[in-house]
Amino acid sequence: MKKPVNAKSTRNGFWALRFKLNGRKISTRVPPTRTLLDFLRLELGLTGTKGACLEGECGSCYVLVDGKPMNSCLMLAPQVQDREVTTIEGLAQNKKLDVIQQKFIDCGAVQCGYCTPGLILSAKALLAENPHPTREEFLVGMEGNICRCTGYNKILRACEQAADAMGLKKK
Amino acid sequence: MFYQPKDIQKALELKAELKERGAFLAGGTDLVVLMNHGKAAPENFIDLTHILELRAIHKHNGTLELAGNVTHAQTGKLPIRCLAQASLSVGGPGIRELGTIAGNLATASPAGDGSAALLALDAEVELTSVRGSRRLLLDKFFLGYRKTALAADEMITKVIIPTNYQTDWGKNGKRGAMNISIVAAAVAITPKKEVRIALASVAATPIRCYQAEKLLAKNGLTAETIRQAVQTVRTEIKPITDHRASADYKVHVTGVMVRRLLENLVKA
Amino acid sequence: MNRPTDTLGESAARLHVTAKSSGAYETGPMKVVGKSALRLDAVGKATGATKYGQDLFDKKFLFAKVLRSAHPHAEILGIDTRAAKKLPGVVAVLTHKDVPGTNLHGLIRRDQEVLCSKKVRYRGDALAIVVAKTEEVAVAALEKIQVDYKPLPSVLTMEDALRVDAPKIHAEGNVLGEKHLRRGDAPRAMRDADVVVEDTIQTQTVDHAFLDLEAGRARYDGKMLTIEVSGQWLHEERRLIALALGQPLEKLRIIQPATGGAFGGREDISIQIYLGAAALKLKGKMICLRYSRSESTIVRHKRHPIRIHYKLGAKKDGTLVAAQITFYVDKGAYASTGIAVMRKASSHATGPYKVPNVWVDVLGVFTNNNPCGAMRGFGAAQTAIAYEGLMDRLAVKLGMDQAELRRKNLVKSGDEVTTGQVVPYATATECFDAVLQRIDWKNRSYDTPAPHLKRGYGISIVCFGLGYGDGFPDASRARCRLTPDGILEVYSGACDVGQGLINMIAQIAAEEVGVPLEKVRPILSDTALTPESGSSSATRQTYFTGSAVHIAASELKTQLRDIAASHLQELVYEIKIENGAAFNVHRPERRMTLKEIARVGKKRGFSLEAMGVYKPPTMPENTQTGQSMRAFVTYLFGSHACQLLVDTETGEVKIERYIACHDVGKAINPDQVIGQIQGGVAQGIGMALMEEVVMKDGKIMNPGFTDYILPTIRDIPEIECIVMENPDPGGPFGARGVGEPPLIGTGPAILSAIYDAIGTPIRELPATPERVWRALLAH
Repeated sequence: MKKPVNAKSTRNGFWALRFKLNGRKISTRVPPTRTLLDFLRLELGLTGTKGACLEGECGSCYVLVDGKPMNSCLMLAPQVQDREVTTIEGLAQNKKLDVIQQKFIDCGAVQCGYCTPGLILSAKALLAENPHPTREEFLVGMEGNICRCTGYNKILRACEQAADAMGLKKK
Repeated sequence: MFYQPKDIQKALELKAELKERGAFLAGGTDLVVLMNHGKAAPENFIDLTHILELRAIHKHNGTLELAGNVTHAQTGKLPIRCLAQASLSVGGPGIRELGTIAGNLATASPAGDGSAALLALDAEVELTSVRGSRRLLLDKFFLGYRKTALAADEMITKVIIPTNYQTDWGKNGKRGAMNISIVAAAVAITPKKEVRIALASVAATPIRCYQAEKLLAKNGLTAETIRQAVQTVRTEIKPITDHRASADYKVHVTGVMVRRLLENLVKA
Repeated sequence: MNRPTDTLGESAARLHVTAKSSGAYETGPMKVVGKSALRLDAVGKATGATKYGQDLFDKKFLFAKVLRSAHPHAEILGIDTRAAKKLPGVVAVLTHKDVPGTNLHGLIRRDQEVLCSKKVRYRGDALAIVVAKTEEVAVAALEKIQVDYKPLPSVLTMEDALRVDAPKIHAEGNVLGEKHLRRGDAPRAMRDADVVVEDTIQTQTVDHAFLDLEAGRARYDGKMLTIEVSGQWLHEERRLIALALGQPLEKLRIIQPATGGAFGGREDISIQIYLGAAALKLKGKMICLRYSRSESTIVRHKRHPIRIHYKLGAKKDGTLVAAQITFYVDKGAYASTGIAVMRKASSHATGPYKVPNVWVDVLGVFTNNNPCGAMRGFGAAQTAIAYEGLMDRLAVKLGMDQAELRRKNLVKSGDEVTTGQVVPYATATECFDAVLQRIDWKNRSYDTPAPHLKRGYGISIVCFGLGYGDGFPDASRARCRLTPDGILEVYSGACDVGQGLINMIAQIAAEEVGVPLEKVRPILSDTALTPESGSSSATRQTYFTGSAVHIAASELKTQLRDIAASHLQELVYEIKIENGAAFNVHRPERRMTLKEIARVGKKRGFSLEAMGVYKPPTMPENTQTGQSMRAFVTYLFGSHACQLLVDTETGEVKIERYIACHDVGKAINPDQVIGQIQGGVAQGIGMALMEEVVMKDGKIMNPGFTDYILPTIRDIPEIECIVMENPDPGGPFGARGVGEPPLIGTGPAILSAIYDAIGTPIRELPATPERVWRALLAH
C-alpha cells in the first residue's frame, strides 16, 4: 500500500481515485458519494457485481478488497483508495475459468445466476484463507449470500469440490 | 467534501471543525444503508478506514484494548467467548469485514449484538476529541434510544475489555444466520465470582440486569438461584411488541436464554 | 453431518423407473435427453458476463423514476408537475395524460391504470414518471411533484371489505368473483360421516423476492419501440403494452434480458409500460429505469393470503367421504390473475385424495393491500397446507397412523380427481412409498438429545394439474432451422427465468433431430425473432414448449432426411440422422453432414425450417359444479417427508432431514430437475417457517431483506431427491414438468412434522418460533 496521505475530494467535488482493480492499476475520478457498487457497474462498466438488496443482507454485491469479502453496496468508492479490489470479472485468467467457477458450472449450482458472482467470491476468499474448510466453516463463509433458486445444496457441493480440486493441485 | 485522514489527530481536527456536518464513515453498514434508502445525505464524510492505528488490538495489563475500527471479523477471532460469538453472528462475512466496534456502539441500536457482550464484560470506551480523551463505562455510554454520550466532536478511539472473565453469549432469531436478534444475551463471571447479565433488543438500549445480578451476588450460582435470577430478569425487562416479535414472547425467550447461558457457566 | 450427495453421476443413478410404462410410448436409449448436460448459459453467469436488465444501463441514457401513492385509498384531485419539470436535469414528467393508449393493463381484467388518473387503490399505485439526466435528479424531482389527494377510508381486511357500508374500492364493489365446485352431496355425506374434523387455516402474504430487481430500458426510433425488460410471457406483455400505449404491434418489440428469477413475480406488467411511455415521448432517447428493493417489494403483486375453512368427514376405517371447504381470498387492490388462482385452489381442494363428495366455495375480496397474483403454486400451495393439515387432525381423531390414513385415500390410476377428471396414470402411492421407505417411517425414532427438544415427522403428497387448464388457449409455438454452417437453431418466445429452459429446449431439439448439443443454438424471447410460446408459469414449459420444439424438430428432421435421401439416392426410410450426420442405417458409408444437407437443401429451394405448435386439449369447467372432464392435460405427482426438531422452550424449528420424490415423466436434464426440486423445497421452507409480508395501514413494514426473512444456507438442510420417471404419453419424450410441485409439498410436510412433534397444529403461517411457542402454550 502506498504511504497514506491526508486526502480529500477536490474543489469541484470529485475524488481522485487510485486503486488496483483485477490486477490493473486504475486512476480516475469519481463523485465521492457514489457507492463502490454503482461505481464498478455504471462508471467502469463491470456489471458482474450485482445489487439486490442494498442493505448488506444478500451478498450479491460482494467484491474482494485486499482479499476480504465486502458488501460493495455499503462502501463509498473513495474507500478503496490504494487498495486491491477483485470482482468476478477478475477471476478467469486468460480465458481459463477459475476452479471455483468451473465447479459451480459442473455441479449445476448456477440457475438464474444472480447470486453466483457473490457466492464465487465468498468461496474464493474462504478457500484462500482456509483451504480445507469443515462443513461448519463453509457455512460461516457462505451464510452472507442469499440464493433464491437453488436451495444451496449444489452450491455447497461445488465449494467442497473446488476445495478438493485445489487441494489436489497443491500436491 | 470527502476526507480520508491518515491519522487520528487529523480526523479529530476535521470533526472538531465540522461537528454534526461531518459524518464519520467506517464500515458504512449503518450510514450507507440509510443513504441507499434516501434517508441520509451527509454534507461531509470523514473516512476513517485508512487510519491503521484504528484497527489495532493491544494487550495491556490483563485487558485488551480494541481500537475503534476493529472489525467484527477481528473480534470474531478473539479468545473471549461472548464477544467472539456475538461478532460471528453479525450479518455475513462481508458485513463482518466492514462493520466496526465503534460504529456499532455509536449507532447504539437496541439490538446491537456486540453491545450485550461488551456490557457483560464491563467494557470501557475511550472517547477522544481535540480537547483530550476520557473513559466511560459502556453502561454510562448508552443514554437512550439511539442516543449516546458521544459529544459532537468526539470519536470512540478504544474499547477496553478484560481477558479473564468467563463468558457466554446467545441469540434468538428467525433463521439460522444474518439475524437482527429477537433477543440477545451475554453472561460473564468475573475473577471475583461476580455475575454479569446483559441483554439486547429488550429495551431502548442494550442493558445490564442489575437486580438479577444482585440476587446472584448474594446467593451464588445454583440451580435455584438461577431460576430466581431468570424470574427477576423477566420482571426487570420491558420489551416492546414490534414486527419482529411480541413483548411476551421476548420476555419468555429472554428467560430461557439467560437460564441456559448461566447453566453453561456453572458447567464450565 | 452428511455431505450433499447429488453429484451428476449420482443423479443418474437415483432415477427410479417403475414398471408402469404405458407401453404405447417407448423412450428407448437417448443421447442428449436424460443427460445432465451443463447449462448452456452457465459460463456467462459464472464470469459475470451475462447481462440482466440493470446491466444494460449506460451513463449516457436518461433515467426514469416513478412516483407512488402516498395513501392506500384516495381520490386524485390534481397532479402538479410544474416544479418538478423546472428542476435542472429533468427532461420530462409524465402523467396519465401522456400515456397515448388506454392507460390500462391487467392479465385478466384491464383494471389497473398505468399512471393513475382518478383514484389510487394501494400504496404501490403509480402517478407520474420523471425522466432525468441522472437517477439522483430523477429522485429529487419526485419530491417536487404535488399531488392533491382526497384520502378515502381504507379497507384493510376482508371483513371490512364485505361490510354493507364498506367503501367501494372498484366501481362494481369489493368482490372480485366467486368459484364453486359441486361434486356429489357433501352436506349429506358429512352428516352421515362417522368422524368429522374441522379447522381454519390462514396463510400469509408472501413475496417472490427474486434477486434481480425490476430494471430495463426502452427506445423509440420513430419506427420501432424496443423494450428490454424481463417478464414471463413476452407476447402477452407485448399485447398489453400495445393496448396501454396505443402502439401498433408491428411497431413494438420486446426483448428479454437474462433474468434472475421470477417465480410468478414477473407475470404481471412491471416497468415495461413506464419505459414505453417515456420512450415514445422522448423519441430517439434510450430511457432506463430500475427499482430499489423496497420499491420492488412495495409495488409488486404478492401471493394471495387465504383463509381456509376446511371440514373433512370420514368413515371409521379412515375412508374419506366428504369435504366442505370455503376459501376467503384477499385479492388486494386489483384483479391480476386472482380468479385463476381461486380456480386452482378450488380444483386442488382435496389434493391427491379421493373424496366422492366435495363442495368448495371461493370468494375473492378486494382490499387496499398489495394486489395479489401469480406465485409458484398459484393457490394450490395454500390449499395443500389445509388438506394435509386436516388429514393429520383426522388421523389423530381416528387413532390412525397418519401415513396409513393417507395411503388409504390416495388417488390411483383410473380414479377421478376433484374436478371429475379421470387420471389415467397416477403415481401418488409410488412416490409416497418411496419417501416413507427412505425416511424409514416404520422405524422412526422420537429419541432426542435433550428433553426440551421434541422430534416430529411430517409427510405430504402432491397431485397438481399441469398448465393453465380449463380450456385456456395456452399454446406454445417453436421453430427449428438449419443454418448454412450446419447449426440447429431453435426459436422460442419462452422466457428462461433461471429454471434452465434453455437446456430443455436445446436438448429436446438435439435429441429429436440427431445432433450433438454443441451444434444447437437456442434463440429465445425476442418478439421480433421468436414465435409465441406462452408463459413460463403453471409448470407448463417443458410439456407445452418442449412439445412444440419436439414437433418442429421432428418436422425439420423429415425435411432433412428427404434432402439426404434424394441427394444420396437412398431410400428415405433407411436414412437416420445421428451425431450431426445423415446416413443409411444399413450402409453407413453412404452419408452426408448436416452442413452439406444445408447446402444442397438451399440450392434445391428447401426452407430448412419447420414450425411446431402445441395446443393443450383441455375443457372449460362448468362454472356451477367446477367439473371438467379434461381440466388439465396431465397431472404431476410427488411426495415429501420431513424430520425435524422443535425446541419447545423457544419454538425454534430445526429441519434434520428432508426427502422429496417427484414423478417428472422423463427428466430431460436430471441435474436441472434436482435443482428445481431443491429450489422449490427451499422456497417452501421459507413460506413455512419465516417469510411474511407484514402490512399495517396498507403499508409494507418489511420491504427490505433485513426484515423480509429469506432462508440462508444455514436454514436449508440436505434435500434428498428421488426423481421418478413414468413417461407421460403426451409429453416430449414422456416428460411432464416439475416447477411448482416441490414448493407445494413442502409447507404441508413441515407443518405436519411440527404437529407430530408438539401435538398442536399451527393454524397461521409462517410457523415462526413465536407461533410455535404460542401453540405449545395453548396445548
